Amino acid sequence: MTAARWAGRRERGSESLIRLMIWLSLTLGWSVGHALLYPITLYFVLMVRGGRRASRAFLHRVLGRPATHLEVFRHFFGFSCVLLDRLFLLSNRLRYFDIQVNGLNDIEGALAQSRGCILLGSHLGSFEVLRVVAQQSPVPVKILMYRGNSRPYSRLIEALDPTLAESVIEVGEPEAMLRVQECAQRGEIVSILADRAPQQDRTVTVPFLGDPAAFPAGPLILAAALGTPVVLFFGIRTGNRRYQVHFEYFADRIILDRARRAEDLASWVRRYAARLEMYARQNPFNWFNFYDFWEHRTAALQAPQTRSADAAADAVSFGDVGGSCRDVASHDRRADAASGAGG
Amino acid sequence: MDTGATTEIEVAQLLINTLHLDQSPGEIQPDEPLFGDGLGLDSIDALEIALAISKVYGFALKSDEGRAHQVFASLRNLTRYIDAHRIR
Repeated sequence: MTAARWAGRRERGSESLIRLMIWLSLTLGWSVGHALLYPITLYFVLMVRGGRRASRAFLHRVLGRPATHLEVFRHFFGFSCVLLDRLFLLSNRLRYFDIQVNGLNDIEGALAQSRGCILLGSHLGSFEVLRVVAQQSPVPVKILMYRGNSRPYSRLIEALDPTLAESVIEVGEPEAMLRVQECAQRGEIVSILADRAPQQDRTVTVPFLGDPAAFPAGPLILAAALGTPVVLFFGIRTGNRRYQVHFEYFADRIILDRARRAEDLASWVRRYAARLEMYARQNPFNWFNFYDFWEHRTAALQAPQTRSADAAADAVSFGDVGGSCRDVASHDRRADAASGAGG
Repeated sequence: MDTGATTEIEVAQLLINTLHLDQSPGEIQPDEPLFGDGLGLDSIDALEIALAISKVYGFALKSDEGRAHQVFASLRNLTRYIDAHRIR
């Protein structure tokens, strides 16, 4: 199952359930919502075969041994908890939560330069917890994201926090990146989910947890174009209503040398993937990409040899899963990518 | 600096230099869409073009004008827009 199809399926299947959960949880409290997560999670573990298989394969990869049924349940349950917590975080019911922040110096150091900041998040743990931390931020925090087919769900979630929509810059709008640039000029933070490559996006295939995986190239190309510092963000769920937030300085400036653009890009993406790998190894049950994250690897490795001789060993691809992989260095820009940076 | 009428060839050259395209200026058709089916640019390319435009022609494309889509629709539109707004 592809990332896009997984997203689409979840959004459709859970809309009425989300409505019910929002009402029950916010009316009766976190404990009631949490108790309901057990049967709901069990239902999803039993019904979502692709997700179950992906969970099992991921845990096997990270734990180094086959995962038990209980561990697969725990994996799904962690995801359910993050979704539930999201309701409380967005509706500002923060008294329930214990959120520890590490690396505040790193983000402050980036902001002190007044060049804006690109914050790279992921689907490891909770991205939403950033919104809580952002309330303490001296500058606005924007979220560059791809909403696509999740609009109905986004609307439900945004209803919890009317300011959410204002902070979202939607990828796909022609002026999206101009807005990002204006944010950077004002010294603001623009956060991006940098692990999941939507179809039709530029990707770079790099080693990740033992095998090549396709990562979106957009966030780092964007950071390079803007010349902003880049900071990593991880919002790890460590227990019930407990989160550990990590900020980590990544780069003063992403520089992509014109003559070796593909290699430079691949090396930055490889660095990002290495950091994500470290956090994923430490917190495997926070990994919320419930699809085969490595599914692109066959296509990437069998990329047509259109790349120039000095191209990086890693395929840098444009286009969708089924499409051919084209290298930045090949100068072939007639790709069908129209949607911009991944979110 | 050339402050005469902005030509499509000149803007095509700017696109090629900025985006490292492997084409000659004459190969970019004036009416061909720059995004999607045509030249296949994406919104990050748009940003890089906007940054290059501000460097060369001295004005910034703004997101709040809601015209980015139209301006970037084709080489012809982009050239006209630059011609109307350039300050150098």
